[in-house]
Amino acid sequence: MITGMQRLAAAASGKASDRIPVFCNLIDQGAKELGMTLREYYSNGENVAEGQLRMREKYGYDNLWSLFYVGKEAELLGCRKIVFAENGPPNVGEMVIRNYEDIVGLQVPDDIAAHPAFQEPLRCLRILRSEAGGKFPICAYVTASMTLPAILMGMEKWLELLLTGPADVRDILLAKCSDFFRKEITAYRNAGADIFVYSNPFGSTDFLPTKLFAELSLPWMERDLNPVGTQGVVYYCGGARLNPVIDRVLNRLEISAYYLSPMDDISQGKKIIAGRALCAGVINDIPLIDWSRDEIRREVRRMMDDGMPGGKFIFGTLVMPYGIPEKNIRAMLEAAYEFGSYENWA
Amino acid sequence: MFAQVIKAYNEAIFDTDRERALKVIHDAVNKGVSPEAIVFKVVIPAIELMIKSISESFDASLAQHFLTSQVAADVVEEMIPQFKKSPEVVGRVVIGTSQGDFHGLGKRIVIGCLNALMINVTDLGLNVPPERFVDEAVAHDAQVIGISSMMVHTARGENGCLKVRRILKERGLEGKIKIIVGGAPYRYDGNLYRIVQADSWAEDGITAGKVIAGLIKEARK
Repeated sequence: MITGMQRLAAAASGKASDRIPVFCNLIDQGAKELGMTLREYYSNGENVAEGQLRMREKYGYDNLWSLFYVGKEAELLGCRKIVFAENGPPNVGEMVIRNYEDIVGLQVPDDIAAHPAFQEPLRCLRILRSEAGGKFPICAYVTASMTLPAILMGMEKWLELLLTGPADVRDILLAKCSDFFRKEITAYRNAGADIFVYSNPFGSTDFLPTKLFAELSLPWMERDLNPVGTQGVVYYCGGARLNPVIDRVLNRLEISAYYLSPMDDISQGKKIIAGRALCAGVINDIPLIDWSRDEIRREVRRMMDDGMPGGKFIFGTLVMPYGIPEKNIRAMLEAAYEFGSYENWA
Repeated sequence: MFAQVIKAYNEAIFDTDRERALKVIHDAVNKGVSPEAIVFKVVIPAIELMIKSISESFDASLAQHFLTSQVAADVVEEMIPQFKKSPEVVGRVVIGTSQGDFHGLGKRIVIGCLNALMINVTDLGLNVPPERFVDEAVAHDAQVIGISSMMVHTARGENGCLKVRRILKERGLEGKIKIIVGGAPYRYDGNLYRIVQADSWAEDGITAGKVIAGLIKEARK
């Protein structure tokens, strides 16, 4: 039987397999699967690995996640308070950086793999690797240097520093975040992750004007990635649109996969990429909570019609809110398997 | 000369250059442009220009929204004490993020714009319980409650807008106080504001000022 890894390899090289790869970002749902609270679920890497493996098995999609929650990166940089909700992703409950002095004092761990906050993700990765390694791509979430400050000091303070603060302080912070990024991606690579979702909303022109994107985002992306390489890296800007920046990123960095925003026009994205990289069409999964089966199928069909011509296409989800009913997750995935079948397409 | 002021200010704002925008304003004041003209003919039209550029999918990023609102609020705060006659307050708003939500950027952009539009705004901060939204709205004689949510579960949850609506209904305040919601989940689902029983929503912080001004009029009818 064909594996997710084989589907991905085929799609990346522009070849057909049975169907396009389907990446489904079920993260917090693992707690529901195991009948646990989110706090309990995320307290142990075995839980997260078990949740991931069970959900992949149950729904049949192609990827696994080693991500706990985005605030994990803040924990690695000194955050001691995460706020857990009953039905949504945990949040950073304490800013690591409250003033410019905190930026000077910010310590990037020498060895992330040895950091106490990385031990449970490591345990999770070891299990995923031993149970599904080589069969299903294991994803890790790594935040770009331009975006990480938003997690450490909040969006408002980061925008203030970026737009109106002292450039030397901004650059000290960005250099530390870039150093952290390199160490983090290396730690995930060493632990066996295959795909590195390089998250960078501040690397989009939805967040920054074109001029700042060119003057700041691109050079800092180069600093992040040049020393560690772009093998397995997927460019992702959160919900922000990628199409306006894809060409410039492709020309400056050898990133070989682009995870569009649901707000991006898939046909246009494919046209810009022009076969130079893999393109992920991403469903707007926020309304998935309320959509009917027919609405879901129509939307998936539309995405496939836009994305499948020319190959090098995968189907992806955005945040998959906790409240999406299981029947709607199934309806979306069944439609993706059906309309994403190369045989049906042909 | 006045046209040059407007042009220079707008260019500085679009370049996210706060210092340059403030210099344009101060130079204009020094050359005799009245504080009233600065607010009503330069700063507020710049917000409207940003709204126009958003609706036309022009290159208007979050950073530009942020800077537009912050500079506008700063300039208006500086100019109002110099007005010949105190401007009339257009209306009153209380605003905060829904319970469980700690993302304050959108709220801050809205507050900056409301201040510039002469709308009196009370910032309730982050993680605001539904009862407090209503209590503060009553205490401040507000026509509008603004609820910002960055996450789906805080937008749709029982302790968000849905409960604010229930409390307004129970206290017979629905005719007097309108609810506006905003934040990422609403941008991805244009029908979500109806599901959470808000009166209206805004796609971004800049546009919210205009929508809120409309709601104030409606509440006062």
